[in-house]
Amino acid sequence: MNGYKQIPVYLRYLINTLLLGAFLLGGNALLASGAVNRAQSAVILQIGIYILLAVSLNVATGYLGQLPLGHAGFMAVGGYGAALLWKAMPRSAGAIVLGLLLGGLVAAVFGVVIGVPALRLKGDYLAIITLGFGEIIRVLIINLPGITGGTPGLMNIPKHSSFLVVYTTVILSCALIHTLMKSRHGRAILAIRENEIAAESSGVNTTFYKVLAFTVSAFFAGVAGALYAGYTGILTPGNFTFMTSVNILVMVVLGGLGSMAGSVIAATILTALPLALQSFNKYRMVIYALLLIAVMIFKPSGLLGRYDFSLTRILEKLINGQLFARAKKAGEDRA
Amino acid sequence: MVPLDGLGIIPERDAGRPPILDIRHLCVDFGGLRAVDDFTLLIGRTEIAGLIGPNGAGKTTVFNLLTNVYKPTQGRILLNGQDTRGKSMHQLNRLGIARTFQNIRLFAGMSVEDNVKVAMNHGYTDGVLTDMFRLPGWWRTERRQHVRALELLDLFNLAGKANALAGNLPYGDQRRLEIVRALASEPKLLLLDEPAAGMNPSETHELMDNIRMLRDEFGIAIMLIEHDMNLVMGICEGIAVLNYGKIIAKGTPREIQTNPVVIEAYLGEEAGHDA
Repeated sequence: MNGYKQIPVYLRYLINTLLLGAFLLGGNALLASGAVNRAQSAVILQIGIYILLAVSLNVATGYLGQLPLGHAGFMAVGGYGAALLWKAMPRSAGAIVLGLLLGGLVAAVFGVVIGVPALRLKGDYLAIITLGFGEIIRVLIINLPGITGGTPGLMNIPKHSSFLVVYTTVILSCALIHTLMKSRHGRAILAIRENEIAAESSGVNTTFYKVLAFTVSAFFAGVAGALYAGYTGILTPGNFTFMTSVNILVMVVLGGLGSMAGSVIAATILTALPLALQSFNKYRMVIYALLLIAVMIFKPSGLLGRYDFSLTRILEKLINGQLFARAKKAGEDRA
Repeated sequence: MVPLDGLGIIPERDAGRPPILDIRHLCVDFGGLRAVDDFTLLIGRTEIAGLIGPNGAGKTTVFNLLTNVYKPTQGRILLNGQDTRGKSMHQLNRLGIARTFQNIRLFAGMSVEDNVKVAMNHGYTDGVLTDMFRLPGWWRTERRQHVRALELLDLFNLAGKANALAGNLPYGDQRRLEIVRALASEPKLLLLDEPAAGMNPSETHELMDNIRMLRDEFGIAIMLIEHDMNLVMGICEGIAVLNYGKIIAKGTPREIQTNPVVIEAYLGEEAGHDA
């Protein structure tokens, strides 16, 4: 329309796939070449896992607009689910994929079971009830030592979470969440955040879509938990306390509620930062806290607000020579 | 207008078919206050009906009862022949009722086009996984919804603003967008709560043409609450006047305008006698 050149769909998909493929292979080669030391590669894997945790929590907080505080619980059940499977199966690509899927599915089942009663409530009430459920999961893990290893934890989990496994999973998960949100189901979820009564009276089954968003959020948290299990090799209930949920929430809020790119960036910064600050060990947590406060004061909507990165949009602006053109106000354009 | 069952009047052309809305003896109590009292009204299949009354008369409460925001204390509502009791709001939308709100309730952070698409629920069967993996069903739905959304937006000259954020639209456009969104769910009965509020006379005039056009093009019934008497008297075929939760008069615009009880309710007793 109006001579604004657009990139054809197949070309967009091709560009994105090629770039992400290059990122995966390049990163893998970099790690294999020994250019990064063990500590650094550990941080890189952790970043991937936290990206997935933040992006998955963003579905429930940023897109659906609720405030669950039990994300670590979903991560835990996913992690234990995958770990038990992996311990029972010989190492193979199929076993890895199966474990990741199982982790997600177990967490999704918990998501439905918890979501149906919890999502009848709103705001603070929902926060408290999900916090409670998260703690129940942790206590169950402690008290079922036959399955979970109890307080000392589950050990000797095969370390399947290589760079390729972690980042392929993260990229696929982000892509699936993105495509969900760009569909009629995703629009229904966003509509609930924007105005629940209007959504309901426009024919959106708000109960269904709330549980759906919550379940999708739990599924990918479970997948991230599986990656975590395959990364550490040991799972203990202490990994999944309320503080873990809060840390993930901080990433989402800092990045900007409802922005996937924001979640990715904030998860990266907040995971790398404590390690980068290790040499100032005494003041590490002080700097971390001050940084959070500063962002919240100067950019309360988070680093990116609701902005989402789109390479296609930038490329299209570039080929139309409008990259630096001022963003037009609503209503002015294409009238 | 012709009488039906001795309960009300509907347009002659709708007389052969049962009314789209059949409300009998509707009451609702808030605490000790009876906000709507013995409300009985019929609306024809393609009627434009008006609900008027002084501030606080209970007009919006009637809309909220019709869309099950509130539960009636007594009485019943038949929408297209079906009892609406116990239905959730989205189920009622499927049965054929759509509404706009007195205080605009758009999805402000979403684009104009997406606002309309949210309300398109009929006849799409692509599931969550189909959409996540962008199988053919997703492409079909997106294309169909895009085309339909622009068609509907075009009726109200909003197609050029399809990509703008709904919250950034001027006030009048926001009101129009709410009507388009309501239309997108393919209602049989459209409830408009003060559609002309905040519009200037020329915009109001355009709105009147648009409301008539909707009735003629889509063959739907429209019930509206409005304080702008030029609009109400200009386009409504049947009007009900509400005061303190009770219907004090029902009739054609001409009958309402000359009804002493209505004049009294609006202007007070003294002025009523003078007029």
